[in-house]
Amino acid sequence: MFTNLHPMLRSIACILLAAIFAANGHGQDTNSESPPSATAEQIEFFERSIRPLLVEHCYECHSGTAKKVQAGFRLDSGHGLRRGGDSGTAVNLEKPSESLFLQSIRYESFEMPPKGKLAKQDIALFEKWILMGAPWPKEEAPAANKDSQAFPWEERKAKHWAWRPVQVSPVPAVKESSWPRNPIDHYILSRLEQKGISPALPADLHALVRRLCMDLIGLPPTVEQIVSLEKDSSPQAIENLVDSLLRSPHFGERWGRHWLDLVRFAESRGHEFDNDAPYAYQYRDYVIRGLNADVPYDQWIREHIAGDLLESPRLHPEERFNESILGTGFWHLGEWVHSPVDIRKDETDRFDNMIDVMSKTFLGLTVSCARCHDHKFDPISSQDYYALSGFLQGSEYREVRFESLEHNRSLAQELAQLDRSYRDRLDQLFDPLVSPEERALRKKLAEKRELPSELQGKSIVDYGNLPNDHYFQDGDAFGPEPSRVGQWRLGKEVDGSVPNLEWSLHATASSDPFWNGLTSREKENERQKSKLLGLPRSGRTLRTPSFQLDQGKVQCRVRGSGHVIACVDSHRLVAGPLHGETIVKIGTPNQFAWVTLHLDRYQGHRFHLEFSPDVDATLDVERVLQGATPEELKLLDDRENESIKQSSLLRSSYESALAKDNEATQKEAELRKGWYEARKDLRSRIRKESHLAMAMWDGNGEDDHLLIRGNASKPGPSVPRRFLMALDGSAPMSIEHGTGRRALAERLIDPNNPFTTRVAANRVWHHLMGRGIVPTTDDFGMLGQPPSHPELLDHLANRFREDGYSLKKLIRYIVLSQSYRMGIQASPEALALDPKNELWHAQQPKRLEGEIIRDQLLAISGKLDPTLFGDSVPIHLTSFMDGRGRPGKSGPLDGAGRRSIYIEVRRNFLSPFFLAFDTPVPFSTMGRRNVSNVPAQALILMNDPLVVELTQKWAQRTIEAYPKEEQADWMHRVENMYLTALGRHPSDQEMHTAITFVRRTADQEGVSSLEVWSDLAHALVNMKEFIFLR
Amino acid sequence: MSTFAPFPCGRYQSAPLSRREWLSRFGNGFGLTAFTALLNDPAFGAVDSTSPGSQRNNALHGTHHPAKAKSVIFLYMDGGPSQVDSFDPKPLLDRYNGQNPSQYFKVEATQFNNNGTVLASPWKFQNHGESGTPVSSLFPNIAKCVDDLCVVRSMVSEFPEHTFANYFLHTGSGLQGRPSMGAWVHYGLGSVNQNLPGFVVINGGLIPPGGLDCFGSGFLPASYQGSVFKPSGTAVANVQRMEKTVERQKSKLALINELDQLAQKQFGTHDGIDSAIRNYELASQMQSAVPELMAFADEPKSIQTMYGIDAPYELTRTFATECLMARRLVERGVRFIELTCPNGAGDRWDQHANLKQGHENNARAVDQPIAALLTDLKQRGLLDETLVVWAGEFGRTPFAQGKDGRDHNPFGFSIWLAGGGIKPGIVYGATDEWGYKAIENRTEMHDLHATMLHLLGVDHTRSTFRFGGRDMRLTDVKGNVIHKILA
Repeated sequence: MFTNLHPMLRSIACILLAAIFAANGHGQDTNSESPPSATAEQIEFFERSIRPLLVEHCYECHSGTAKKVQAGFRLDSGHGLRRGGDSGTAVNLEKPSESLFLQSIRYESFEMPPKGKLAKQDIALFEKWILMGAPWPKEEAPAANKDSQAFPWEERKAKHWAWRPVQVSPVPAVKESSWPRNPIDHYILSRLEQKGISPALPADLHALVRRLCMDLIGLPPTVEQIVSLEKDSSPQAIENLVDSLLRSPHFGERWGRHWLDLVRFAESRGHEFDNDAPYAYQYRDYVIRGLNADVPYDQWIREHIAGDLLESPRLHPEERFNESILGTGFWHLGEWVHSPVDIRKDETDRFDNMIDVMSKTFLGLTVSCARCHDHKFDPISSQDYYALSGFLQGSEYREVRFESLEHNRSLAQELAQLDRSYRDRLDQLFDPLVSPEERALRKKLAEKRELPSELQGKSIVDYGNLPNDHYFQDGDAFGPEPSRVGQWRLGKEVDGSVPNLEWSLHATASSDPFWNGLTSREKENERQKSKLLGLPRSGRTLRTPSFQLDQGKVQCRVRGSGHVIACVDSHRLVAGPLHGETIVKIGTPNQFAWVTLHLDRYQGHRFHLEFSPDVDATLDVERVLQGATPEELKLLDDRENESIKQSSLLRSSYESALAKDNEATQKEAELRKGWYEARKDLRSRIRKESHLAMAMWDGNGEDDHLLIRGNASKPGPSVPRRFLMALDGSAPMSIEHGTGRRALAERLIDPNNPFTTRVAANRVWHHLMGRGIVPTTDDFGMLGQPPSHPELLDHLANRFREDGYSLKKLIRYIVLSQSYRMGIQASPEALALDPKNELWHAQQPKRLEGEIIRDQLLAISGKLDPTLFGDSVPIHLTSFMDGRGRPGKSGPLDGAGRRSIYIEVRRNFLSPFFLAFDTPVPFSTMGRRNVSNVPAQALILMNDPLVVELTQKWAQRTIEAYPKEEQADWMHRVENMYLTALGRHPSDQEMHTAITFVRRTADQEGVSSLEVWSDLAHALVNMKEFIFLR
Repeated sequence: MSTFAPFPCGRYQSAPLSRREWLSRFGNGFGLTAFTALLNDPAFGAVDSTSPGSQRNNALHGTHHPAKAKSVIFLYMDGGPSQVDSFDPKPLLDRYNGQNPSQYFKVEATQFNNNGTVLASPWKFQNHGESGTPVSSLFPNIAKCVDDLCVVRSMVSEFPEHTFANYFLHTGSGLQGRPSMGAWVHYGLGSVNQNLPGFVVINGGLIPPGGLDCFGSGFLPASYQGSVFKPSGTAVANVQRMEKTVERQKSKLALINELDQLAQKQFGTHDGIDSAIRNYELASQMQSAVPELMAFADEPKSIQTMYGIDAPYELTRTFATECLMARRLVERGVRFIELTCPNGAGDRWDQHANLKQGHENNARAVDQPIAALLTDLKQRGLLDETLVVWAGEFGRTPFAQGKDGRDHNPFGFSIWLAGGGIKPGIVYGATDEWGYKAIENRTEMHDLHATMLHLLGVDHTRSTFRFGGRDMRLTDVKGNVIHKILA
């Protein structure tokens, strides 16, 4: 029973070192009967021998004097001892030697005290004491344990600003009424005026244009753009620029990168071998397309949480494929581990990351803090955490054929209708030909049959007797439902002639060869050791409901060729040395046979099975059992053979009845032909090819169990699925079938939930204004910082919702404000009164991100390939990028000229260029990047071969534009370079300095013109202005 | 060398300081400019008296008490050396060699699930030095230094998988994306060398499973991440100038500086931009400091020979270079230096099979250089202020994997520490009679980290960084300083 002795670790976990006897929630009495009365000698023994040992070895963690009572277990009163803690009762008076307390001090279960085993004689004393019934004198328990108080969520909710509804306030009045351009400016200016601060002067045109271009599309303005704006002094000019930038396809690339920071986007799984996270780029492209299309944010959330479950998914406008389902890919972008020794703990770590990212991204709340204990500061309980993790139990990973999904799904519906109509017509044809007894027998054979009662407990799934909502598959290959005995179907096609009529002899889930020929456009894998790789699963996989494994053997009665996979605790990166036994080949093409999975290792774990036929093969799955004896399997074989015998006999009498009737025979042939041709016609319309993408796959709904102190080997009571108690009450959510993610999505976007719109509006503000109104963009909880301008935040949140959750409208609104347009230069008075610029008396100079610096270098050098979307460009590997899982081949130095968002993100081989400029390591939500300043940045811009190469290209391009080696063209070159790189003209002095440098360098012997101008170009990109926005 | 004066109570000081004030007050420290930029950002360091919790971001909090150690050299033994074959002799293994271990104790789940019989150590143990600390014949040279070592035989980890265990050893968390201990030290104490990073990883050829993120800065600013040096060539990425001549580079740098000044004249100065300008000075100082660091030819021949720079075994030569670099980095005031193992000794210390050959190759690569490093530090008087830590991410099973290997064992294994305020010549803690599980003075990773920080003058509970709604620490919410091993 004790499969896991290493206590679980994680950094967010808080207390567990002494995780003995931890409490399931909030202190219940598990064993409160009075102690047996103790004799005076026993009490004396206790006082003399036991209490001193308890004080010395246990009280540091298990008493009222402990800094923090560990595991909810107190040993400073008889009551505490009898009550036990999180792991239940400590003392078993019926079987004293099996008491958890004794097991722990003997280091047989827990290992207590953790600092070292007690001396043998001390253990013997404790054994003696427990054996005599653990006598304890009657005394008051010392001061109450503060842990045992009820979780004060209402009080916490009332105290903290962020839980209050979004308020609409009147736009504040300002004195300087000519300054504001829109209501935002009233909120900013009124606060400045209260402090007697004047806002900074507006940024000059060149600063503003560059700022807008970089903020909105992440690429510098072109010289032409700048020149034409210089000529256009109309007030509409800037608005027009903003609108054109918002329409640019590069908008989605710029803001897409912001979004990818939130969902820890990466294309490999990290861990030891950095296996591929295949098709992650499809999610990246989905994000870029979605932002460009300005998908309303409420829809965006629906798609992320439950895009696989939408009644009418959003379709790509031209290609008509299912966009919505791609959103669910975000759940699966985390780290994956191959070969975890504790597979359930690994699952809980994955879920933790998924909940962490989901709650920070959409709610700005750190729900994961409640994995091991109730949140320390926010009204979020452990119950909340496990109520949410229930949505992930039963929500599985799949690689979905998203391009063919909708098309083939509707085709499958047509097919089902077609089959039904022909079956009805065949029944109508046959019914008058056979006797009522025969008809009745056929009906009887088609009925669901119960298993013998002794086998019912061992049945995992019975496709002859399946609850209606338990038929799960990826794709349509296994038809709309299991086949029934006596169900008409067409036989195997031979040489293009119309096949014979057959009927099913078995009640099975059966793959239909109708769907043969599906091909998935798979990416060539760089690093993928998964044993699932190469199994043709997408769009043709049957999935059983989830079950708990009670027995080591799982037996499947199947016919055909293919694979069965036991997905234990949703572990899928099967790449040795462990867990190979979860994949078993099926090779019984002509007859039913039992295929056994040997899963002893996983007893007590949750799992489901997935069945896929080999290419062009078929697979019929009749039932799955666990732990059946050979006799029992034989019994089922016999029963099945008996049924086949009856059914075959009956089929013969149907055949002979038909043969006696010429007209019916002819009619049957017509029907058969018609059915065959209609199917053939439908088949020609199958969309066989599709790309794949990671997505959610809904199964049967399951609640999760609370884990005591977050420890995967210590399950507590099950917690019904629901949203956060403080927002939605503690009643379980009503979920008809499936996991309920669809309903969860609606809770997230409920207008009564103040977090969603505030958090989103704050993120947009953060990116445009250099700092969030709530500076801690991912934490709106007590440990986050409060909003500097709460009314403005609510104004933006409210307006965002009223504008149909349009991000583009919100961005437009902010960038057209006077506040955004301020310059970065503050007056000394303003600096004195508001030294940290908390009131936004000026714009913040923003340091550009590594990705954008690189994009900018590509743009000015003319080497930018503006192609959108597609498979990523492999990362360029330097000799300093080393370690296991290193890709076999390095990508090109210049990333093929593609924008940085298309460079592959491999967790263990991140770009040193980007890392130096604070691109986050993709492990959790990072709405606010660090902005650090390290010599590596200077070294990169000075000495990185890419920078040198691109600046040289830039110099060459400039020389070609102004080819004459004379003063006038030199000045044109300098002018052009300043405009290209910095978006402004050089001052006279700058021009003079540049020309002087050129002349001096050109005078040196053996230095070519290209070298001279490359040096100048290189110097210009090393100016701080190049990497900052002013 | 100077150390930073601690703030009162070790708390973060809220008064905004300009870059210049910082530089004048703490005028030495690589990565310092990074910090001033952050200070000006209210989101980073602002103090909010209404928020609960007493800790705040407190970069460069300095020492909380007098430091014993100024630098750390972490000798990372990738893959997990076997305790029962190195520093923890278990005669019982000889007696029960070849028997089924499950008869005698409960065998926990292992990474390969291919458990064999009890496996006696192929090496003989002998007591060494005045302390009499036993060391196996794997380490004849280190054995001569035992009187300087404190061998901890009761280390435990929480993970039997390399990557988790590596992250745990390096960052105090089994997951990716947490700051490495070197980054925490750098964050808390800064560096006394202007021209070199405060946290250097010398990559001997094996980057541990989990990748470079073992040395990352996690949620701390990038300035604190480990800089990977190689024990050959230019050592560091991008330090080699791209200009043909020094003059051309100088003239370019002068131009950059001039153009920056001109821009500032037009658009004003800002601390962030100002710091970025200053960054170029540091970068160019580093460009000269690194070649100077790598000039081993300056070392007397006897020193080179002592380390094994000219040893017959190639991997000894590699690790000798790493150790010599480490000493030179310590002399230059670098705070935290980690050495990774050379590549080619047969899958690191990770001997799932062929224990004898593999461990012998690995030991041969590191034994002489490590002994030389200890001796050299000592003779220069540097060992007292340099903490040397020798550790793998876990140990190995006392029973075989297959026939002649050992699987991962996080339940009890040996590491050693030396110098920097560590009590020399002692053995601390014990495993059970099989060498399988720690039973006496169990030492958690968090305890090791707490102790290392303690020796550097840092209270591990007060070196924090707020991220994701929590005041994060290297030691999470755990860790006890092991006072019994302190001198």
